[in-house]
Amino acid sequence: MRYEIRVDGLMSDTLAKAFPELDHVVMSGQTVLFGSVVDEAHLYGLLARCQSLGLHVLEMRQVPE
Amino acid sequence: MESSPTSAEHRVDPLGDPFLRTCFALPARPVTFLRRPRLTRHLDQALRTPLTMVNGAAGAGKTLLVADWAAGLAQPPAWLTMEAEEERPGMFWAYFLHALRAWGSPISEQVGGPADANHVNRRVLSAIAEDLQARSPAVTVVLDEYDRVTVPEVAEQLDFVLQHAGQGLRLVLVTRTEPMLSLHRYRAAGALTEIRNAELAFTPEEAAALLEGHGLSLPVGTARALVDRTRGWAAGLRLSALAAQQSPDPETYLKEFEASRSTVADFLLAEVLKRQPEQTQDLLLRVSVLDRLCPDLVNALTGRTDAERILSELCRGNAFVEQLGHSWYRLHPLFGEILRAHLRVRRPGLEPELHRRAARWLRRAGSLPETLSHGAAAGDWEFTAGALVDDLAIGQFFTGLRSDDLARLFSRMDPGATSPATDLVRAARELSQSDLGRGTAHLRHAEARLATGRADPAAAQLCCALLEALAARLSGSPARAERAAESADEVQPEVPAHLLDRHPELPALLLTHLGSAQVWAGRFEDARVSLSRVADSPGRAATLLAREESMGHLALIDYLNGWTGRAEHQALESVNGTEQCGPFGPGGSGIGRVVLAAVAVDRNELARAEALLDETDGPPASLHDPVTAAGRAMVTARLQLARGNTRAAVEAADPAVAADVASPWADSHETLVTSAAHLAEGRYESAAEVLRQLGDGQPVCAVEAARIQLAVGDAGAAIDLLDSVPGAHPAAGPAVTVRAMLVRAQAADAAGDAAGARRLVALALHEARRERLRRPFLDAGRWLRPLLVTAPLHQLAAGWLRPDSSSYGAPGGPGGPPWPIVVEELSTREQDVLERLAQMMSTQEIAADLFVSVNTVKTHLKSLYRKLGVNRRSDAARRGRDLRLL
Repeated sequence: MRYEIRVDGLMSDTLAKAFPELDHVVMSGQTVLFGSVVDEAHLYGLLARCQSLGLHVLEMRQVPE
Repeated sequence: MESSPTSAEHRVDPLGDPFLRTCFALPARPVTFLRRPRLTRHLDQALRTPLTMVNGAAGAGKTLLVADWAAGLAQPPAWLTMEAEEERPGMFWAYFLHALRAWGSPISEQVGGPADANHVNRRVLSAIAEDLQARSPAVTVVLDEYDRVTVPEVAEQLDFVLQHAGQGLRLVLVTRTEPMLSLHRYRAAGALTEIRNAELAFTPEEAAALLEGHGLSLPVGTARALVDRTRGWAAGLRLSALAAQQSPDPETYLKEFEASRSTVADFLLAEVLKRQPEQTQDLLLRVSVLDRLCPDLVNALTGRTDAERILSELCRGNAFVEQLGHSWYRLHPLFGEILRAHLRVRRPGLEPELHRRAARWLRRAGSLPETLSHGAAAGDWEFTAGALVDDLAIGQFFTGLRSDDLARLFSRMDPGATSPATDLVRAARELSQSDLGRGTAHLRHAEARLATGRADPAAAQLCCALLEALAARLSGSPARAERAAESADEVQPEVPAHLLDRHPELPALLLTHLGSAQVWAGRFEDARVSLSRVADSPGRAATLLAREESMGHLALIDYLNGWTGRAEHQALESVNGTEQCGPFGPGGSGIGRVVLAAVAVDRNELARAEALLDETDGPPASLHDPVTAAGRAMVTARLQLARGNTRAAVEAADPAVAADVASPWADSHETLVTSAAHLAEGRYESAAEVLRQLGDGQPVCAVEAARIQLAVGDAGAAIDLLDSVPGAHPAAGPAVTVRAMLVRAQAADAAGDAAGARRLVALALHEARRERLRRPFLDAGRWLRPLLVTAPLHQLAAGWLRPDSSSYGAPGGPGGPPWPIVVEELSTREQDVLERLAQMMSTQEIAADLFVSVNTVKTHLKSLYRKLGVNRRSDAARRGRDLRLL
């Protein structure tokens, strides 16, 4: 499954290293993390990681392969 | 089994480790902490509602708010900060109880506590609730970082305790995520005090006051903009204060921050970090791999000696680090992750080395679980496996307490790692999955390396002996198990006593394996010595499984000697102990349930026996040893025989295990079932033929063989067999003696000695009644029935051998001829035939309907008549209805 997670604010490249399994792109004041997610557990893990990094998640959605 | 309330038990959790003292300390507030009266006032309501939830994002200031409120109360509450380990129900409740103990108001000693890390008994929860309910004033318990608890059972159990503790318990949950309690119910009942993220957010006025505390005086406009930018987020405000403090023009700095669009924590943390002195930055990055830190450990990571000073400075400045008490600190959870990301960028490749250093320090400090997790994170497998082996903790692969954690941890082990310890760990992993071939191969490697390796491998040799004993048990080889036990005895004095004290599971498991191998070989007295040492040892969490297994094996010995009641008692104790660990007990063989099933068959409680057997049809992870396999085969075959399914019985009787030595009792029981099956199908000669292969020495088997000999017409052989029993086995129990008396009675009956037969049957009934041994009477055959309706025997059989003395009409009464008292259970096929017969179908019609030959139907009819004690179709149908078989 491919997912993208949109968070508020521009993430630094350093912080993006906290998501080594995802790519990221910054645009219009937001950062989009994207890539393949292994399963539901991984998905919830990513959400928890966002939370523990103090990130504000705006959107999370599955994207076509 | 619940742990006995001894003071020693109180110092350790269900995994046998000391409680983490830092979990119970009220967190200290930094000097810059700002008390916000509107929140404290709201929290005061927590004293009036059963449940309070403070729910907000990481860094929203939840913990400090509650800690500050708690410290200001006349009676501060009990405090418990959740750790990852406490996620499991057993651990959670052990820590919950310890929090009350540490707080000075323990729950009554009678409650005990969970002995198993993964489970807690409902009875314990009720007792906790009951104890709390009587409390006045109420006990307030704060559970901080409750979001770490993700197991639904814990929420459900908390709900239960809260509901039943009534006015005696006030619970405050501090959490990042919505807890899985039925909050709506509490809300509707007005029983919930709730402070959520929006309420935790700083107002502009509060933000201005906070910045004031950091020595920054700002106009309200700037403070409002800052609150907008950070959404009133406490951590964001605090970081911006720290960053601004260190800049030449704080106000301009904050304006710039407001204008930037970076993610708040990320940006601010980088800002604050880069303003720290070089050593502090380096320290912060390095400690990001740790969950908890103390100065000495941090020095080990930095290679310097300045940790104490830097940590206390950071703590005082409320930057990054929080004090846990007892000179332990931790990074603020929000910053740990970000710092780790910085570490990876700024010091690529350093992470494994840091884990390696942490592992070595923790090893010296004696914290095994943390040592293992850092060692594994470092990928240093020889060290990690070595730590496990040198600590004598290898038995934890088999006790169920930590076995899953260990298996998971070592599943990542690099196949290239070669040391005696890594081979031992591999062997333990394979053997815990009952993979004898691979396990033994690894074990041989380990032995070869140990023989040529460095000095002082006593711990490794002891671990090796344990695994060898297990391998011996699984391959049914008592000689190997004995050699392993001997070599364990030899090295034991060389192993530090405190390690043996800490790991009572190691000798307990070893003796259990030895005992099991001896049981297999039929050496019951030797086995009893080995197993009793384990069963009689004091109950501790670590030895729980070994004790249950030992008791299960002792129960099997009793059963095989004919002591049905004693076997049941012992097996129940064994099974009850593992009850809370799930039906099998982790890694257990389920031998206790097999014995209970055997007892149930002897009592003709066939449905119960089947249910018990189904439960032992274990998952692949449970232990497959020959004793349990043979026990299962024996009971399954007897169950099938009792149901008249002779072919299934013969098939089930073969345990299909490969063992180094033969097992006399397993072989005898298999032979006996085969012979009994021949007898049931009327092949007398084959039955007698098979019996010739019967080995001697098994009293139960000898008397059953005697019964078969008598049935096939060889009364002399039968009596010879019986005469061989009592002398050789003075210890034979009722299951043997009752059967022996019935055989003698049958012989007397056949010889025309009716009075003698009656006297013997009366004795047998007397003896069997206490143990409810029904099966021997059902197996005895038709000769017994006329005897059982005569006066004294009729009374002796009433109530247990037959449902009720009045239900089938009195002998000679208006109900017609007296029905035989005992009814054998019909086989499925016989039941099919009976049903069709009751529908007035002819033999030919029944045969066609069931797709069998007419002769087969006639055979079924014959045995049906025999079992129902009738001679005609109409009687069979009537009798079937009376017995509710139709």
